[in-house]
Amino acid sequence: MECSDFAMRLDDLLDGRLDALQRKSVQEHLGRCPDCRQRHEHALAVLETVRKLSPPAMHPGFIDQALSRATRPAAGGARAKWRPIVGMGLAASLVLGVALGVFLATRPEPVQAVALTIDRPETVRLMFNSAKPLKAATLSLALPENVELVGYGGRRELSWQTDLREGGNLMQLPLVVRGVTKDDLVASLSHGGNSKMFRLKIEVAGGSGM
Amino acid sequence: MRPQVEYLYRLAWRFTGSVADAEDLVQDVLIKLFPRTQELLGIEKLRPWLARVLYNQFVDSVRQQARSPIVELATEAEGDDNPLDALPATKDGPEEQAERSGWRERILRALDRLNPEQRAVVTMHDVEGYSLEELETMLETPLGTLKSRLHRARQRLRALLPMEPFSAGERVKG
Repeated sequence: MECSDFAMRLDDLLDGRLDALQRKSVQEHLGRCPDCRQRHEHALAVLETVRKLSPPAMHPGFIDQALSRATRPAAGGARAKWRPIVGMGLAASLVLGVALGVFLATRPEPVQAVALTIDRPETVRLMFNSAKPLKAATLSLALPENVELVGYGGRRELSWQTDLREGGNLMQLPLVVRGVTKDDLVASLSHGGNSKMFRLKIEVAGGSGM
Repeated sequence: MRPQVEYLYRLAWRFTGSVADAEDLVQDVLIKLFPRTQELLGIEKLRPWLARVLYNQFVDSVRQQARSPIVELATEAEGDDNPLDALPATKDGPEEQAERSGWRERILRALDRLNPEQRAVVTMHDVEGYSLEELETMLETPLGTLKSRLHRARQRLRALLPMEPFSAGERVKG
């Protein structure tokens, strides 16, 4: 057996799918080829490590909330994909508003825009790039007039808590625009007393739409 | 459904690599399944059936995401003094910090580099222990396609996870 043959049979070896003859041939090759032996050990180690990777705990209360939402699909069927912090949305928004003002005054983020069609729910994805992992960061949204978050019945201020990974973090936001809006959607991200604000201009697709 | 939520979450987390995304996926599945509760009672092998529903939901959501508009919000120039960038990495204990900076983080990053189908087959075959023949039925995907996905996924993981960190077990820097 050549090393290229071994490479082709590595998966079957890992999965115990070789017949007796093939297994014998592979074992003989491993016995005389240190490179393939190392490849095999590496493959086993990677598999074992992936198997041992355990999920972090769910957010406390998730099971109850999820089952409850499942029984009321109208309330849970469409929602932003980061969970709100129950009972602290408005308070958090007010506190953040003060803290964020400082950052906004010194260095506002560039305003970006997205075009939506009136009365048609569309998912907007916001990507937050984080230089490092952030545990329990808070994201707050302030929606402008005539823009609704689907499933939140006209609420204008919401807050979520989430863990951000290093690099890109996507938030799915099901939005519906009810008419022309002049203000921006404001998303603010806070962690450990620091905050940052982002602004998103919501435009009506196809002109004013009115 | 309650006894199955943890199983669904475990699978969903392995598919998505994120607690929030996993919970969203589980939530979507629960919403979909709730009207079919009576039907579930009659299913002999519930977990493979649930895994299939979760997988289909996962693939659908990935496709839906790919179609929706995307706005990238963090656009500051390099070197700009971003208050969030200056944050300490965490306020966790040393054990958690070590784990994050060590093998766990590296594996998660490597899994992130797989496409959704590859990640799902690694999860269901290599972690959950479903055979390729079982997956052929569960996922309604030809055996050859599954083998090819698994082969490419493992190959990519090995390329992304070099030998050194694994030879010493779960060694982390102290």
